Amino acid sequence: MSMENINYKEEVRRKTSKPLLWIGIVSIIMFFSGLTSAVVVSQGGGSFLKIDLPFAFTISTLIIIASSAAFHFGLISVKKGNLAIAKISVLVTLVLGLSFILTQFLGWVALYENEVYAVGSQSTQESSYLYLLTALHIAHLLGGLISLIVVLVKTIKERYSVDNMLGMQVSITYWHFLGGLWIYLFFFLRYIIA
Amino acid sequence: MSAHHHKEDFLFKYVFSTDHKMISKQFLVTGFLMGFLGLVMSTLFRLQLGWPGESFEVIDMFMGSWAEDGVMSPDKYLALVTMHGTIMVFFLLTAGLSGTFSNLLIPLQIGARDMASGFLNMLSYWFFFLSSVIMLISLFVEGGAASAGWTIYPPLSALPQAIPGSGAGMTLWLVAMAIFIVSSLLGSLNYIVTIFNLRTVGMTMTRMPLTIWAFLFTAIIGVLSFPVLLSCALLLIFDRSFGTSFYLSDIYIGGQVLEHSGGSPILFEHLFWFLGHPEVYIVLLPALGITSEIISTMTRKPIFGYRAMIGSMMAIGFLSFIVWGHHMFLTGMNPFLGSVFTFTTLLIAIPSAVKVFNYLTTLWKGNIRFTPATLFSIGLVSTFITGGVTGLVLGDSALDINVHDTYFVVGHFHIVMGLSAIFGMFAGVYHWFPKLFGRMMNNKLGNVHFWLTIICAYGVFFPMHFLGFAGVPRRYYTNSEFPMFDNMIDINEFISMFAILAFFAQLIFFFNFVYSAFRGPRAPQNPWKGNTLEWTAPVEHFHGNWYGEIPHVYRWPYDYSKVDANGDYVSGEDYIPQTVPLGDNEKDGGH
Ligand code: HEM
Ligand SMILES: [Cu+2]
Repeated sequence: MSMENINYKEEVRRKTSKPLLWIGIVSIIMFFSGLTSAVVVSQGGGSFLKIDLPFAFTISTLIIIASSAAFHFGLISVKKGNLAIAKISVLVTLVLGLSFILTQFLGWVALYENEVYAVGSQSTQESSYLYLLTALHIAHLLGGLISLIVVLVKTIKERYSVDNMLGMQVSITYWHFLGGLWIYLFFFLRYIIA
Repeated sequence: MSAHHHKEDFLFKYVFSTDHKMISKQFLVTGFLMGFLGLVMSTLFRLQLGWPGESFEVIDMFMGSWAEDGVMSPDKYLALVTMHGTIMVFFLLTAGLSGTFSNLLIPLQIGARDMASGFLNMLSYWFFFLSSVIMLISLFVEGGAASAGWTIYPPLSALPQAIPGSGAGMTLWLVAMAIFIVSSLLGSLNYIVTIFNLRTVGMTMTRMPLTIWAFLFTAIIGVLSFPVLLSCALLLIFDRSFGTSFYLSDIYIGGQVLEHSGGSPILFEHLFWFLGHPEVYIVLLPALGITSEIISTMTRKPIFGYRAMIGSMMAIGFLSFIVWGHHMFLTGMNPFLGSVFTFTTLLIAIPSAVKVFNYLTTLWKGNIRFTPATLFSIGLVSTFITGGVTGLVLGDSALDINVHDTYFVVGHFHIVMGLSAIFGMFAGVYHWFPKLFGRMMNNKLGNVHFWLTIICAYGVFFPMHFLGFAGVPRRYYTNSEFPMFDNMIDINEFISMFAILAFFAQLIFFFNFVYSAFRGPRAPQNPWKGNTLEWTAPVEHFHGNWYGEIPHVYRWPYDYSKVDANGDYVSGEDYIPQTVPLGDNEKDGGH
């Protein structure tokens, strides 16, 4: 028996895909904990100005919650064998994900018009943190979008079924995590920086 | 088949391999090459410290235009110290040590055919390789390599115009480290998931060898602390290149006020040391695990206090996250907070002492077989004690204030972290060389290597404590400009002579390593009569580790010299591999 043995490989995949994701998520959590702790430490240095959060960020919060719900609905549909609905749900999730990025972008534009700058000599700590945290969240979201596209293609090709949906489950876990991360950042920004 | 096919085979077997054994060797060789460069650097700057301002042929030869007339320039000195520290801590003792032994031993000792994801594992190595290359390239850019010390404190590191090394060299340092962190995270991810999910039948957590426990804790610490270093470096990159003010404020430099406001370099120190201290244990724990395994095997005795060893590693791992402030006693920290960090730091002495006690009791009355691996393991116990004792001095805020940033610190961390970890790594290489290369290393050369190394190590680093007491600061190009240190010059010469000797001692090792890999006597399958699973796998390497089924496990790994009620060996021999089922009235160990 060797590595080429398909059963063994399949078993390894089944046993390790989710744990790999979870530990990856732990490291992302530590990354953002480091950054948000940095905000708190910087704030302790005094001279922290308040910034008004643009309304677009509130909308994007609602959008990302809706996208998580849509994805979840897609998963349930696959479990029930209702693939037509699953396809629509995943597509809706993707559209909502892209709209999230759009609203984040609109938020940045609004900030910029209020003379809140990300970098350069006119930037302040709090303005730089604001842009940085939101941009880094999007950077992680891009990974989620790529996996979402893969899941969408596979759903359309009807590759998933009740007993074969590991890829979809992994993708949805990460997607929910991104939503949770944004909600944390939103309230953190709302109450610490803004 | 065509030649084309063979070429492909070669590429995937030796270069882009996903086999953990090959990746292990790749980490080992790359780590050793980097370590060798770090060693050369330290030998060169020790020449300058021992005989300041004197001209040396070798320096002229190796450093060329970096050293006018064979005397290295001050900025190159700082660059070399910084690169030496960075290379030794991260490239040799983090990636080189964990990368080699976690990769080699995790699948083999828990009974898996490979890591959870061979692909991520391969990526981990190649990111490490890329990072190494970028770090080395940084030596040759304009202004030279980063020179702000391996801790790259701002503002020195944040202002590109600060010193020559703060320019392109610093940028490349940050890029290399960011890639390094990704490599390290990918590795840790795999190690943790493999240990939790791919153990063979019967390999319960408490039947795992202590090496595996050590690698597990190391990986967990890495996953929790390296991302914070990444965030730390990211903010620095923004301050350097995009004019943000995370670590910088409107300070005056050269009569001009900087266009920054409100930032603080203290923030950097917090973020850096939140990784920095756990990093010490990322370096150390694998070495401690390796030592546990070797000492037990070579004394033919069960490890004393198996569960206490696991518990103390867990305690060390946990405590390592709440002591970072002991690097910052002099930052104007509230003295009360200082005393909290003193308290947590001194607490680490307890689990550390437990480990030392257990090593000594395992050695006690053992039937010791003195191979180079045994010697280096005992050497580790020695340096762990010596360096640990001075750690108590540095952990106490009232005492640390007097010796902070002096050679006392350099002496302390080299002994407790540098020497202990490198001894553990040497021990591991001697012990598992037969598994890595299917051949034996030469014991005589190994013994000479050990004795020269330990004598030189103490010769180099012990006197540094006295320099520190006298107030000699670290990271200084020369101490000959200060009359109060004039009577220290003999000590510095003494240290440098041992450093040069130490350099040559390592050449013996490198010779032994390379020669044995190609020409050493062929290794038997189980040369040390060990119990663990890697010795049940055939000598030759192939992807999958075992022909046929993966062996099942029935007992803990430390059944050495196990006797029955009559005092006879249970199995007729002084060891019982983990694959041998328990006898009728036999109890499993480890409880
Ligand atoms: C023969 C071996 C070695 C010698 C002779 C040596 C010597 C030195 C000396 C003299 C310094 C201080 C220079 C200064 O402060 O001006 C130094 C710095 C340092 N060394 Fe080593 N070292 C050796 C091996 C190691 C190893 C194995 C490690 C691994 C932990 C290590 C890690 C460091 C670090 C982290 C620094 C601090 C660099 C800085 O200040 O930024 N060294 N070494
Ligand atoms: Cu520390």
